[in-house]
Amino acid sequence: MQDLLYFFQQLINGLTIGSAYALIAIGYTMVYGIIGMINFAHGEIYMIGAYTALITITGLASLGVAWLPLVLLVALICAMLVSSSMGWAVERVAYRPVRGRHRLIPLISAIGMSIFLQNYVHLAQGSRNIGFPALIEGGFTFGPADSFQTSISYMQITIFITTLICMTALSLFISRSRTGRACRAVSQDLGMANLLGIDTNRIISATFIIGAALAAVAGLLLGMYYGSIDPLFGFIAGLKAFTAAVLGGIGSIPGAMLGGLILGVSESMTSGYLSGEYKDVVSFGLLILILLFKPTGLLGKPEVEKI
Amino acid sequence: MNTSVKKLVTAVSASVAMLGAGQAAAEIKVGIAGPMTGPVAQYGDMQFSGARMAIERINQNGGVMGEQLEAVEVDDVCDPKQAVTVANRLVNDGVRFVVGHLCSSSTQPASDIYEDEGILMITPASTSPDITDRGYELVFRTIGLDSMQGPVAGAYLAGVNPERVAVVHDKQQYGEGIASAVRDTLEEAGVEVAMFEGITAGDKDFSSLITKLKQADVDYVYYGGYHPELGLILRQARQADLDATFMGPEGVGNKDINTIAGEASEGLLVTLPPSFDEKAENQALVQAFADKGEDPSGPFVLTSYTAVQLVADGIEQAQSTDPFDVAAALRQGSFDTPIGTVQYDDKGDMKAFEFVVYEWHSDGSKTPVN
Repeated sequence: MQDLLYFFQQLINGLTIGSAYALIAIGYTMVYGIIGMINFAHGEIYMIGAYTALITITGLASLGVAWLPLVLLVALICAMLVSSSMGWAVERVAYRPVRGRHRLIPLISAIGMSIFLQNYVHLAQGSRNIGFPALIEGGFTFGPADSFQTSISYMQITIFITTLICMTALSLFISRSRTGRACRAVSQDLGMANLLGIDTNRIISATFIIGAALAAVAGLLLGMYYGSIDPLFGFIAGLKAFTAAVLGGIGSIPGAMLGGLILGVSESMTSGYLSGEYKDVVSFGLLILILLFKPTGLLGKPEVEKI
Repeated sequence: MNTSVKKLVTAVSASVAMLGAGQAAAEIKVGIAGPMTGPVAQYGDMQFSGARMAIERINQNGGVMGEQLEAVEVDDVCDPKQAVTVANRLVNDGVRFVVGHLCSSSTQPASDIYEDEGILMITPASTSPDITDRGYELVFRTIGLDSMQGPVAGAYLAGVNPERVAVVHDKQQYGEGIASAVRDTLEEAGVEVAMFEGITAGDKDFSSLITKLKQADVDYVYYGGYHPELGLILRQARQADLDATFMGPEGVGNKDINTIAGEASEGLLVTLPPSFDEKAENQALVQAFADKGEDPSGPFVLTSYTAVQLVADGIEQAQSTDPFDVAAALRQGSFDTPIGTVQYDDKGDMKAFEFVVYEWHSDGSKTPVN
């Protein structure tokens, strides 16, 4: 019983962090699906989302707004707006001028953008860790009161549910809406879609905006969950999310979700049953294994629709 | 500012000084190397504030052997790679005395360069025993060692009769060094160390670790590392209702842990050097800091002040600005400094340095335990 409770606790920990990875991974996978480039500045967009959310929350608190749902909603909207415009601007400034060149060029441009944004936040917000207020506290506990108890916090539940809503909305958008159909067309054949009258530039911008908006959601959620943010916050998360995207099959949206969850659970299980020191060893070892046997990732299918 | 502009500015200010004083003011360059930016920049602030104050006061009192000290400040971000880069820059600038670096992992590679280039280095903050363990002639410190701090913490923990203790570290030279010393002390005292485990510095999610600590049912957790990670561990542990007392080294004892952990930082135990700023004989100096609007209470402010003062005293004693002569003078002499009387052993470690256990409060203040 004890062991089972412990297992569930680690599973919950893993799924929480995994769903957040998945939200960030969407940005990588969608951009790759459409224009075949890896947007290394995506982790920074997520970090900027978290900073914007924190600034909004602090601002609202100083104005005396204390009703939690309103605070969260406003913070979420501000973070999504700022991150989306950031994502859009990055694409316009750093990727569009070099699109269609050798594939290394946009990659280097993306790395440059990532360094630029990181240092910009360093200068603008300072390099120290800033505490993020825990707005959602409390939770449920299971198990006997005198020994180990499994607990699931409201914050964790919020992360699951928000991720679920975002993913469902995104799937519906891609499969049902006009823009979604255009996205799929562009991902299959950019040149042909262009010939058929689809404004591909607009679709590519839309992809960056959607990815950035989801990253901002993750920024707000994880900022609250962890409790502090710093300008390097996006780097590691970006790396993990990118791994999740590759693990699930880069270019595939359900793949990003699956990859994120697998990565999160494998991390928490390794920490829980082996040692925290081997967390990254196991996660990246897993990635290598999967890529050896299935180079396109778990759900990635070459030459089939990539978004 | 590029170096040629800097040189121009220096030249202009030097000539202005010459006009004013009517005498040739040669300068002894003192490099100050530490993190101005990056996650542990607040320790760097302490270091720079202490060192600048010392240089200012020494220069006001006529300098060293009639020459003024000139600070050359560089930022190593507490990153080993960056530390090597800035160390080389100091070499190129013709600096022969360095106060720094701060993080042990930066001090170690930088000290290789200084030793090779004949530069005297005094670190005001690096506590890793390895730094002075390599038989280097020009490496000194004005702080104690992990091998002193770890046993103090270990002995304290053993003294409170804990049932089970977990020892966690950040896998870095500083954190793991202290954590190992704590574990060894505890085991010698017969206390059960239920867990000895590393985390990754820079990580944000510690839910798995905390679950594990809960499962192991520990009543004390020792953390070897710095405040960004411990702050998050404290906060996430409180949210997960982990009922344990945390303890850490001086790397966690600063006010930033309160911003991260909030209420959860109340009751944290920290080993720190004794509060030099509370000593009666330092009150004039403390007032000088207060006049500048700076706070001398940080653990590395007065150790940095002392490091600069030792450079000056060493030069005076040796009557030479040759780093090797100064190093010999430091090893022989006994120096009266704000952190007490400093005497060096052959390795470059202070013969005596004390650590005290403090209880940390959520408003950033601390009270000595026992």
